[in-house]
Amino acid sequence: MKLQVGTFPVQDVVFGEATRWRDGVLEIHADGLLAEIRRDARILNAELHLLRPRERVRLVNVRDVIEPRVKVDGPGVCYPGICGRPNTTVGEGRTHRLSGLAVAESADTVLYEGNDGWLDRWLDMYGPVAEVAPSGKLLNLALILTIETRLVAQERSDAAHRAALDLCDRLARTTIGLAPPEERTYQLPTSGSSLPRVVYIVCLRSPQHYSGSLSASWVGIYGMTRLTPPWLLHPNELLDGAISGPASSHSATTSWVMTNNPIVDDLYRGHGVDHDFAGVIAIRTRWTAQEEKDLTAYQAAKLARLLGAAGAIISYDAGGNDFMEVMLTVQACERLGIKTVLLTGESPPESEGLPLLMSLPEADAVVSTGCGRPGREALEIPAAERVLGGPELFATSDRPAERIPADSPMNFHRWTDLFGLGTTSSFEY
Amino acid sequence: MAEAVRVFHFVNQFFAGLGGEELANAAVQRRDGSVGSGRALQQALGEHGTIVGTVIGGDNYMNEQRAEALSAVRAAIQHWRPSVVAAGPAFAAGRYGVACGEVCRVATQLGVPAVAAMHPENPAVQLFGKEMLAVPTGQSAAGMQPALAALARLVLKLGNGQQAGSSEEDGYIGRGIRVPGRRALPAHCRAVAMLHAKLHGELFTTELPIHPTEAVTPAEPIADLSQMTLALITTGGLVPKGNPDRLNAAASRVWYRYSIDGLDSLTASDWDCVHRGFYTAIVKENPNYILPLHVVRQLEREHLIGRVYPWFFSTSGVGTPDSYARPIGQQMAAELEQAEVDAALLVAT
Amino acid sequence: MISALHAIALNGGAPRVIHGARIEHVCGNPGLTPEMDQAHARQIVLTACAAIQTAVTGPTLFEP
Repeated sequence: MKLQVGTFPVQDVVFGEATRWRDGVLEIHADGLLAEIRRDARILNAELHLLRPRERVRLVNVRDVIEPRVKVDGPGVCYPGICGRPNTTVGEGRTHRLSGLAVAESADTVLYEGNDGWLDRWLDMYGPVAEVAPSGKLLNLALILTIETRLVAQERSDAAHRAALDLCDRLARTTIGLAPPEERTYQLPTSGSSLPRVVYIVCLRSPQHYSGSLSASWVGIYGMTRLTPPWLLHPNELLDGAISGPASSHSATTSWVMTNNPIVDDLYRGHGVDHDFAGVIAIRTRWTAQEEKDLTAYQAAKLARLLGAAGAIISYDAGGNDFMEVMLTVQACERLGIKTVLLTGESPPESEGLPLLMSLPEADAVVSTGCGRPGREALEIPAAERVLGGPELFATSDRPAERIPADSPMNFHRWTDLFGLGTTSSFEY
Repeated sequence: MAEAVRVFHFVNQFFAGLGGEELANAAVQRRDGSVGSGRALQQALGEHGTIVGTVIGGDNYMNEQRAEALSAVRAAIQHWRPSVVAAGPAFAAGRYGVACGEVCRVATQLGVPAVAAMHPENPAVQLFGKEMLAVPTGQSAAGMQPALAALARLVLKLGNGQQAGSSEEDGYIGRGIRVPGRRALPAHCRAVAMLHAKLHGELFTTELPIHPTEAVTPAEPIADLSQMTLALITTGGLVPKGNPDRLNAAASRVWYRYSIDGLDSLTASDWDCVHRGFYTAIVKENPNYILPLHVVRQLEREHLIGRVYPWFFSTSGVGTPDSYARPIGQQMAAELEQAEVDAALLVAT
Repeated sequence: MISALHAIALNGGAPRVIHGARIEHVCGNPGLTPEMDQAHARQIVLTACAAIQTAVTGPTLFEP
């Protein structure tokens, strides 16, 4: 599978009479784009706002952050399978992307009815959150939607996400026919070398348990969000958005992070040099019986073994009992002789317990992204001067009925670095 | 040039060169300067540190005459007024390791920094936990040289008035104390580098050492259940309809007791489930799924169990830190003990 | 302790762990008839009773 990715950097966004990319500037005809979005009868209102780094603005009810990417050549569409998009296998041909820019999808509608379906995500362009979260360094084009309330949750969620993806398509399509300023080829030629083969195992929460639905809106693999056995993916499929979708919690992945996954990038760069990048294994977590958790771990390890993997890097995107699948996968791999490195956050020291929910001795190589703050003091998040997307935030997800004004200062943030983007960590004493 | 750090050293009878097991009962003795393996430690310290005095304690004496032994150690430390106390290396020797831990504790009580050296699986490591600073060694004295080199480095650092850095930085056995901070490279780079090191059999240091969970001593079994009083507990967030006490959906600091006196079963109309960590619709229809009262009453009627405690305990156990859970468990246990309850069924979700 | 996700109960050190059905219905199975469901729950509780009568030295799993 060979994929050429052409990058069109966006250094500035201006609102004008046409939607086009030229010399690093994305011009947007807001009215035209919004008119297209409003053609979906489920969308009652749509607004576009540009959020720049360091502006003291907070966007709430954030459902996803998406990098505009479009297939220029080759099968399928970027962000396949989700919201009814074609689910032909992607990862080949040519893809164009707008870098430095993301569409931030905001709509006050739950992901699904049920625990953790409520929206508890926001995005600050200033302060400590902006310094660590990737969205803080991007030009974010916030698409703020009002969705018809007389629909079931899944329809409302579908409407919002589809609108965001359609907008991404239109923005990315401005690059068709243009020569990309940067280009990179993604290919994994078999070297026949004796380099160790490594896999990336990505563990993704499924909303099936909490929602009671096989098709609840959430991060999908080719749009599929239900609990499924492990998937074998070529990393190019991730680059074309095969793992993407909205989610409601700060620790969940965004579509942006999945198409810019730093572990995938590192493993690609080292292919044929330090190791052979053998593939990506995606597992779903939050199975509800011990046997099912065990099975997914055994099967993930088996897939790694069939790929000839000598090593695996494992990441995940949700805490709680989802972490059991992660630990069991580490254990299953190690027991098959596949050396693992686990990338994980940890509980804060004031919890007075062990840093991980479940500790197995096989997890002897752990990289920690810490507990959400870079020092002993609580994080101070200053009040926002401007808030978009809604009037309130969750005070704490432990008491979901409690809200605080959206511009409130806070002394915590719930963004968790689960893909290793930052330098925050913890040390053993 | 800085003055040499004053070091106090603790060794057992064997490493003092006095003898083996036959001298394990040797009482605590003091010697000026270094003794036995202490001489090698002195060499490792070079001109930066001086072992001003050594205390020798027989393995059995330190363990069995603990009060006298530690009193003698205390007096010796006060006599020599060192800047730092070094104990061991004890390698895998359990009694010696425990004695080292005790000596370090005495030193700490006197305000003197202390560091031991022993194998990470020496029982003293688990026993002293977060209290004891210990440099890792191999299993046996075959690893004496590197053990002493590591010990000497940390001894000098502490003796010079500095605090110990992280376990990675100062090469001691991690004690499970986690301190947030920053590293030089982003985590994704570190993950790939760590994998390469592991694949090539190179040395690497995990950023999060796995420590065993606290061991729970099992309660003694009960032979005759027909006399047993059984309590029911759930962490599933089971509450009376309307959640009158406003139990948190998660991370509760509190727990509540609710009467089941005269109730044969839990019904959907009277009870609710507020837990936000699992799909609760099924339990809301039939709360017995997380507190099997219907079955327990059956067993009570059949005299298979004695009686059911008339209150059940409820909390929401999800995202609950140990700092909340521990007191909840202690309070529940205290009430059950007071009420002479024999056993409890705890249904977890 | 009755738990459907018993690996974590055992890992946490609970000495007597009974293997529950599923997290959303730990003591029973709504897919059965009410009588069979209650019999299933009874089996789980009886296993817990047997565990109470059993000496254990560390985390031990009991299967209904």
